[in-house]
Amino acid sequence: MDFDEAEDQLVIFLMTSGPSTPQRCATPFYLGSLLAAMDCDVKIFFTMEGVRLLQKGVPENLTAMEGGKYIHTFMQEAKRAGVELIGCKPALPGYELEPGELIDEVDEVANAGRLADLILSCDKLITF
Amino acid sequence: MECNGCEIRPELYYDPDFQIWARREEDGNLTVGMTDYSQSIAGKILHARVRKPGTRRPASKPIATLESGKWAGPVPNFFDCVIVEPNEEIMKDPTLLNLEPYEAYIAVVEPVNGAESALEGMLTGEAAGEEFCRRAKEEGWECDRDIR
Repeated sequence: MDFDEAEDQLVIFLMTSGPSTPQRCATPFYLGSLLAAMDCDVKIFFTMEGVRLLQKGVPENLTAMEGGKYIHTFMQEAKRAGVELIGCKPALPGYELEPGELIDEVDEVANAGRLADLILSCDKLITF
Repeated sequence: MECNGCEIRPELYYDPDFQIWARREEDGNLTVGMTDYSQSIAGKILHARVRKPGTRRPASKPIATLESGKWAGPVPNFFDCVIVEPNEEIMKDPTLLNLEPYEAYIAVVEPVNGAESALEGMLTGEAAGEEFCRRAKEEGWECDRDIR
């Protein structure tokens, strides 16, 4: 499969990494942006510690490497490329988070059933 | 002309955010590339891929993707068009986009509804230069072709 045949594939990123492993927090957005630019339908589903990246004040102050771009900027670029960001509702209480405390870039806060549907219907599933 | 270190050429057409330029060719096709401002934002471009000749790309569907050290994403497309000729040179040496943004075009495209219609709403000539300078000063846009 090449660049010209990637169109309309549903690609799901399952993002479980969070602020405790900042080096793992930029690549999903970079790769997601690229795949979206290739016309793939890209959704990043944040669960486990990944939901902390959606907490207001966290991605705005987190970089994957010293002196690098803020994770929030990566997220905004991914959004501009067409990537959707979905937060896992059942994961929020574990981090004492409420849906209202999430950054504006979040498209949806969804239950595990939504993730199950995405996993079963997608063309590619990538975990970070 | 130059503004905040950014080159802008009045003979070209620009989208309202000055991300891409287009040149009208005698055969009705458009040559499309990245602006000096756009390449500066991207930083050193490491990889460029352009769609195959004959591929139809509606407006808003990118004609190419770029990867730089700090950004990956689409080259925005403002025309309903068919790719006529990707620039093979930039795929071999993508840094040309940084070094010579107005010579290193991305692709020649054929606008489906004609060049006139495609270029409606794009900025050109002195008006483009004035608008670019206004935005550059207002929003602090600066350009740099140093790709180290």
